[in-house]
Amino acid sequence: MSQLREPAFDRVVALVLRIGAFSCFFVMLAGLIARLFTKGHIPVEIERAGVLLMLATPVVRVIVACYLFFHENDRKYGFISLGVLVILMLGAVFGIGEH
Amino acid sequence: MVSVLLVVLGFFAGLLGALTGIGGGILLSPILALHFGIPIRQAIGTSLVAVITTSAASSSVHLQRHTTDIRLGMTLELATAFGAAVTAYLVGYFNRSALEGLFAAFLLYSSFTILWRGGKVKPEEALAAEANGKQNGGQFAIPAYEPQRYPLGLSMSLVAGALSGLLGIGGGPIKVPLMYIFMKVPLMVATATSNFMIGVTAAASAMVYYRRGDILVEIAAPLAVGVFLGSLLGARLAPRIHNRHLAYLLVAIMLYLAASLLIHLFRGGWA
Repeated sequence: MSQLREPAFDRVVALVLRIGAFSCFFVMLAGLIARLFTKGHIPVEIERAGVLLMLATPVVRVIVACYLFFHENDRKYGFISLGVLVILMLGAVFGIGEH
Repeated sequence: MVSVLLVVLGFFAGLLGALTGIGGGILLSPILALHFGIPIRQAIGTSLVAVITTSAASSSVHLQRHTTDIRLGMTLELATAFGAAVTAYLVGYFNRSALEGLFAAFLLYSSFTILWRGGKVKPEEALAAEANGKQNGGQFAIPAYEPQRYPLGLSMSLVAGALSGLLGIGGGPIKVPLMYIFMKVPLMVATATSNFMIGVTAAASAMVYYRRGDILVEIAAPLAVGVFLGSLLGARLAPRIHNRHLAYLLVAIMLYLAASLLIHLFRGGWA
């Protein structure tokens, strides 16, 4: 079970994380550069997009893994991934209005 | 300009984190709180973004070496994500002094564990395996194993997650020994899998912090940019540098930060 490794599975999940990390880096960098040229809200909103992209990356990683597990008919781990996804979503909902 | 300072701070925290194998995130929150005048709760929320960035970048490397047990990681994430989301929510009701005290205690604990192991932050087996992997063209021989004691693993993961949501740290110092010693997972797999889990664990709490307004975007962005660059460079240098002095430097910084937090706490500086 756990000791079985599927190289393709690892590669897809690694790709998701890499795309997330790099795109977030470039968006945040763009925000920092924008700060040099403009004042006001625009740079902060770009940076906010970068932060949200970073928060979304692990969620996307769970969704992709969930899909891959169900795709391989590995239902047990498909449902476990689904459970992790539900917890993540609950976390996002719980904080609302807690300012 | 404060942003430049934050990029530099993130860079060195990321570099030191990648070189010593201890997440640089543990340094960021106290430095933000002590030297940038940011309330500790916001400091924790803000450095969580940097923690997720590091985890995503470094675990993509581990995944490509096929040393991550995604199934085990996903299972334990049920517990870490839940624990992290719950404490992240509860932190809203914590007073500042309690958080500062807890953080100082955790910094002291981490320093003493490194000192106790004589400055060896990377276990020897991992170093041997790294060298071995290089000889075999990046392929790592991992012995067959079956994770044991899931109930214990899940309950200790709950604690690791709770601590992560509370202090904005990755919780590696709990998860790695848990998987290695109690669940009988090879050390290399335990390290990679712990790293893999940090992203989801931190995201579960970061979303709660974000919703509460405890992630300061203008601080998080330059910090994460610096951490990203620092950990990329650190990951490149790490196989070539086995410097014990770096671990002691990390310990010195952690002890300094713990002492500063405690001094502020007893003076009632921020209350």
